[in-house]
Amino acid sequence: MDLVESYAQDLGFARKRITRALLALLLMALLAFPWVAPDYMVFIATLVALFSIGVIGQNLLIGYTGQISFGQAGFLAIGAFSFGHLSIWGAPFLLALAGAGLMAALAGVIVGFPSLRLKGPYLSIATLGFGVAVYQIFVNSEVLSGGRSGLAIAKLKPMFGLSSVRYEYFVYMLLLAGFTWVSYNIVSSFVGRAFVAIRDSDIAAEVNGVNLTRYKLLAFALSSFYTGVHGALYAQVLGHIEPQIFNILESITLFAAVIVGGVASIEGSILGAAFVILVPKVFADFREMVPVVYGLGIIIVLMFQPLGLYGLWLKTRLYFQLWPFR
Amino acid sequence: MKLGILGITLLVAALGATSTLAQSKAPGVTDTEVTIGITTPLSGPAAAWGTTALAAEAWSKHVNEQGGVHGRKIKVVMKDDGYNPGRALANVNEMKDSVFALVGLLGTAVLNANKDTIADAKLPTIWPYGNPEVFAKQPKEKNRTVFMVYPDYTDEGDFLVQQAAKLTGAKKVAVFYQNDDYGKGGLDGVKRGVAKLAGSMALAGEVAYEVADRELSTHALKIKESGADSIIIYATVTHCAGLIKEMAKVGYRPKIFASFPLGDRHTMFRLLGELWEGAYYNVTGAVPGEPEGDRIIDILLKQEPKLKGRESFALTGAAAMMAAVEGLKRAGKNLTREGFIEAMESIRGWSPEKLTAPVTWGPNRHHGGNPIRMMQAMKAADTSFKTVTDYQPFPAHF
Repeated sequence: MDLVESYAQDLGFARKRITRALLALLLMALLAFPWVAPDYMVFIATLVALFSIGVIGQNLLIGYTGQISFGQAGFLAIGAFSFGHLSIWGAPFLLALAGAGLMAALAGVIVGFPSLRLKGPYLSIATLGFGVAVYQIFVNSEVLSGGRSGLAIAKLKPMFGLSSVRYEYFVYMLLLAGFTWVSYNIVSSFVGRAFVAIRDSDIAAEVNGVNLTRYKLLAFALSSFYTGVHGALYAQVLGHIEPQIFNILESITLFAAVIVGGVASIEGSILGAAFVILVPKVFADFREMVPVVYGLGIIIVLMFQPLGLYGLWLKTRLYFQLWPFR
Repeated sequence: MKLGILGITLLVAALGATSTLAQSKAPGVTDTEVTIGITTPLSGPAAAWGTTALAAEAWSKHVNEQGGVHGRKIKVVMKDDGYNPGRALANVNEMKDSVFALVGLLGTAVLNANKDTIADAKLPTIWPYGNPEVFAKQPKEKNRTVFMVYPDYTDEGDFLVQQAAKLTGAKKVAVFYQNDDYGKGGLDGVKRGVAKLAGSMALAGEVAYEVADRELSTHALKIKESGADSIIIYATVTHCAGLIKEMAKVGYRPKIFASFPLGDRHTMFRLLGELWEGAYYNVTGAVPGEPEGDRIIDILLKQEPKLKGRESFALTGAAAMMAAVEGLKRAGKNLTREGFIEAMESIRGWSPEKLTAPVTWGPNRHHGGNPIRMMQAMKAADTSFKTVTDYQPFPAHF
């Protein structure tokens, strides 16, 4: 039935025909989506796509490597403002995006150094401090934050005759697909195994030849790169950024997305991103009750699905695989 | 499978039906109803300001009880954005083709994120709250659908300095400000005001705080050391109260000149008691305790009892809906967005139930007013106050 005969097969993204068919179906649905859904849904899907990239990045760090970080807002801000300045200087979109990611990755390496000595809650506090420090630096330096009222960023110029909303959707979905593909490769490679080994026991990992310094810093650099790109894409969508946008609430939202989606799972990261975007949006008409609904949603998911939304998906899949037996 | 085909047919039919509807009428308008969209912070750090939206809705209910406008009832669709520009943008994107107009977008970052969307969708946006510079910096044609009435922080800062010199003979002022767009705008204005009075007035100290700060004793000491005889405050209600208490602890009681977000004297007296007595503060409109304000508060409380205790914000919000209603009245029975915009542009020297200074909009003036007047807090025991100046004729910014 599901016999894996070679290592290459084990690494394969989709082993069974049905998986491939479903995947193709999903891709087709995503392609057709902007033509059947109203513009605002396409916009929300765009938001989910850009958020997913950041959540996948944080999952690499939190879920796979086990380094609990609360500095996300700082990396988002660094990514967003680097992107803003680069595009104002005339850098093309992809170059500015890469620059934003690299700047954030550099910051990630710097923040990563304490992680070599700090663990658990102590690391969380250190990274939290980083997030707050970055915020303060941007608030207090008008050169960096683009002046009192922030930085204006030109919108993406649509191509191929697409409307602006659809064009943005396709660009962001393509980027998400690219990041997802790279992430699958990272987690199924020796790098991913090193991350998991560090999470489960860093001493055992070191004994087995994992260079802790290198891989912990790599985890920070990679996740910050993703988060920097998320910040840049968010800046592009908003068209205007100011430091206040990247406050501690953003860190908590990203962290919540990782936990709700499912720790150490890439599909889960995308589901988590969808959760934190869609729940407040869908319930926006509930007015002041939105945070209550949102908080309850998180509690319910974690009570009944400790593995997050990804766990729900696993169970559903298992149910259909075993059907008609239970 | 059959079900699927049926579903698709229905969907296509529904899509077709909505598009034909959209062609025949302006978005959000039927013969019996006109839909107004609101996105506002009902949760999150700025939830208190969401009161403006609740009051706007309450006023629309009052208008509906009087029969609506040209036979149409006003329907309000209100969404929470938690003061988050991304969520506000998602809300506006969702509503832009289904509501007739927006009332009261709130927050400078929210305005910045939405300014292109409302210009592209030609979506009338009535009475947004935030820094007018957001729109003043754009090309004129992009502001055609925006009708704003909001003070400029810099103009206000200048005014506070002039008043300090005039009313109390201040020689040395210090500024306590929030380290963001709002506070720094005020600081710029104070500097401008001090420069105008060069020789007779000096800026003794500038002390900034962060929104997250809770411990303000060092701030208070710094201001005391500056030796200022008056202090100008650009802060939230909580931080203003915290600072004044800390200054009192070290026996320092300079004259107080406060920016308009601190204009709710009931809240300030509740937090500070006698320490607020004698403070000068600005307001942008009628306040509870004035006949114009009390009359509207009665109407609003009847519609929405939740507004009790938040009357100052409520009056600001009601004025926004009044402006939209005035536009709807002038636009006539045959309602289109274009007609509505022209109707709004015809509003001249009009005051929303005397709640604020006369508002004038026009084809070349979409910042309809920059209303500020000064009051002084009197006795904490009866929350009494005194009106110090009339509305100031500041320039429109766009």
